[in-house]
Amino acid sequence: MSSPIWMITTSPAIGGALGLVEGDVEVTVLVVGDQATVDALTEAGVTALVHVPTSDTVPPEALAAQVGQLVAEASPSVVVAPARGPERALLAAAATALDAPVLPAVTSLRVDEYTVSLVRGLYGGLVAATETYSGPIAVLVDGGVAPAPTGTAVPVRQVAPSPAGLTIVSTSASQQASVDLGSATRVVAVGRGLKAREDVELIEKLAAAAGAQVGCSRPLAEGQDWFAKDQYVGISGQHIAPDLYLAIGISGQLQHMAGVRGATTIVAINADEKAPVFTECDYGLVGDLYDIVPALTAALTEVG
Amino acid sequence: MKIVIAYKWAANPQDADVAADGRIDWSRAKSGFGEYDAVAAEVARRLVDVAGGEVIGLSVGGPEIASGLARKGALSRGLDRLVIVADPSLDHADPVTTARVLAAAVEQIGDVDLVLTGDASVDVAGKIVPALLAARLGWPTLADCGQPTVTGAALTVDRATAGGRQQITVQLPAVLSTAPDAVVPRVPGMKDILAAAKRPVQELAVADLAIAPATLPVSAAVSRPQLPSRRRHMIDATDPAAAARSLVAELTAAGTL
Ligand SMILES: Cc1cc2nc3c(=O)[nH]c(=O)nc-3n(C[C@H](O)[C@H](O)[C@H](O)COP(=O)(O)OP(=O)(O)OC[C@H]3O[C@@H](n4cnc5c(N)ncnc54)[C@H](O)[C@@H]3O)c2cc1C
Ligand SMILES: Nc1ncnc2c1ncn2[C@@H]1O[C@H](COP(=O)(O)O)[C@@H](O)[C@H]1O
Repeated sequence: MSSPIWMITTSPAIGGALGLVEGDVEVTVLVVGDQATVDALTEAGVTALVHVPTSDTVPPEALAAQVGQLVAEASPSVVVAPARGPERALLAAAATALDAPVLPAVTSLRVDEYTVSLVRGLYGGLVAATETYSGPIAVLVDGGVAPAPTGTAVPVRQVAPSPAGLTIVSTSASQQASVDLGSATRVVAVGRGLKAREDVELIEKLAAAAGAQVGCSRPLAEGQDWFAKDQYVGISGQHIAPDLYLAIGISGQLQHMAGVRGATTIVAINADEKAPVFTECDYGLVGDLYDIVPALTAALTEVG
Repeated sequence: MKIVIAYKWAANPQDADVAADGRIDWSRAKSGFGEYDAVAAEVARRLVDVAGGEVIGLSVGGPEIASGLARKGALSRGLDRLVIVADPSLDHADPVTTARVLAAAVEQIGDVDLVLTGDASVDVAGKIVPALLAARLGWPTLADCGQPTVTGAALTVDRATAGGRQQITVQLPAVLSTAPDAVVPRVPGMKDILAAAKRPVQELAVADLAIAPATLPVSAAVSRPQLPSRRRHMIDATDPAAAARSLVAELTAAGTL
């Protein structure tokens, strides 16, 4: 099995990663996860699957050294992983075993006979780099959602796991329902302009009137736990491309905007006319969100 | 417990300027102690307060990271001493090179039980240096960790996953990167800053660490990214109700609503 690309994943959410690869090139997917993930990916349209199973006591990261060995034996030109916590540990082990450079934030990838060409964002997307490499490389990409099944299953090679160093002793499910911002056509997002947790209701009412999902900036999901961790947008969070993005009380720093560049229309509401978000919006309203949000909810309800 | 916290002294790209040819001008952007590395420093301090031992700050970068300002900025975060590898060749070094230098420095420090890192550096934000460091050292690694607790020769860590949380025992030595909300870091006070001036700083020369050079691309070019063009239409919001109606009308006319 010597595909030029090996993709490492712990979940079925690799549709975006597969979509990034240009041309008709063989891809082997290495699943370090449960059987359900393998089942979800057998018809993903890839060349082959390799499965190293995790369990209730074995987290993916415990298999990092083994993943390094497996990938080094296959010696692919490119190792790809969605930019998620466990995948980073596995990709790093593979890159170290291959002695390959690791390139975060890759947005396009092309494998030719002797070279690999790519585009990636540097410094949170401040600049873009276009590069060509001749040796093996390891890249981090946006995973996206699970790919649609093609109807044709590929063979799965099972590998017995040899975990080391880490053991799961207990697991608890999240209380907060997971929100799929990635597929939402409209997103209303709020930032630190919101003064109190009770005021989240104000935003939820607006979202309901707009037929939108609710998102937020990072500080409201990590630090303040007003929102779930999968609800924030940005380089470290969700990358989304809705038809409409409403940024309310969000300053619009580089790290946040990097997650919404794909939005068709961006509306910004901010009390500070100098907020960077106004340089990257289609419609801007300078004012207090506590005045504008209820007014907007009313206006949307009026038109139905 | 001998804990190393790896911290980056760097500037936020939000404050940098980009020329038309894609070249970055960092002169307007001030470097500082990583926002998320402060969380790792606090986690380390709390571990050592319970288990005893010392907290050693370790940083890799250009000559600027050895300045008085950078040293005091780091030591005032409750670190007992610093080990710094400062060299012009390491200014904005790539993640693999950074991890190689960090690994060599950790080995040089010797008998390290735990390396703690921040969630992401402020400039690169690849969240990959800790995993590369772990791979290099052959140690286990986990990301998104909360405050760990000591249980004999191992640590127990609570970490966030896509579906909830897991409690994981970690064999030491290990590399853990801390979640931004693991703990709230203390704000250094006057006392911390004064005490910082007296703590030892050791500089390691990169030439003594025998680091293999990183693989370079055969061709490379940087450019200003193509941002989608935005209308930047400002709607007067002195009368919120009128502004709201006008926005809804615009969005409806454009087919967005
Ligand atoms: C490595 C790294 C990764 C990061 N990743 C992310 C990420 O993925 N996502 C992310 O969001 N952030 C991320 N950040 C953080 C980011 O840099 C910003 O700190 C964050 O986005 C700011 O959030 P904010 O806009 O809500 O808050 P602030 O920057 O504090 O802005 C609040 C805004 O609200 C406005 N405001 C205040 N009161 C009102 C009012 N009454 N009405 C209207 N407006 C009001 C203010 O004018 C201000 O512009 C990252 C940072 C780093 C260093
Ligand atoms: N040059 C460096 N020196 C020391 N620690 C670093 C350096 N670069 C990254 N780190 C550590 O690795 C973490 C993740 O960085 P990054 O992979 O660049 O996002 C940071 O929060 C730091 O703790």
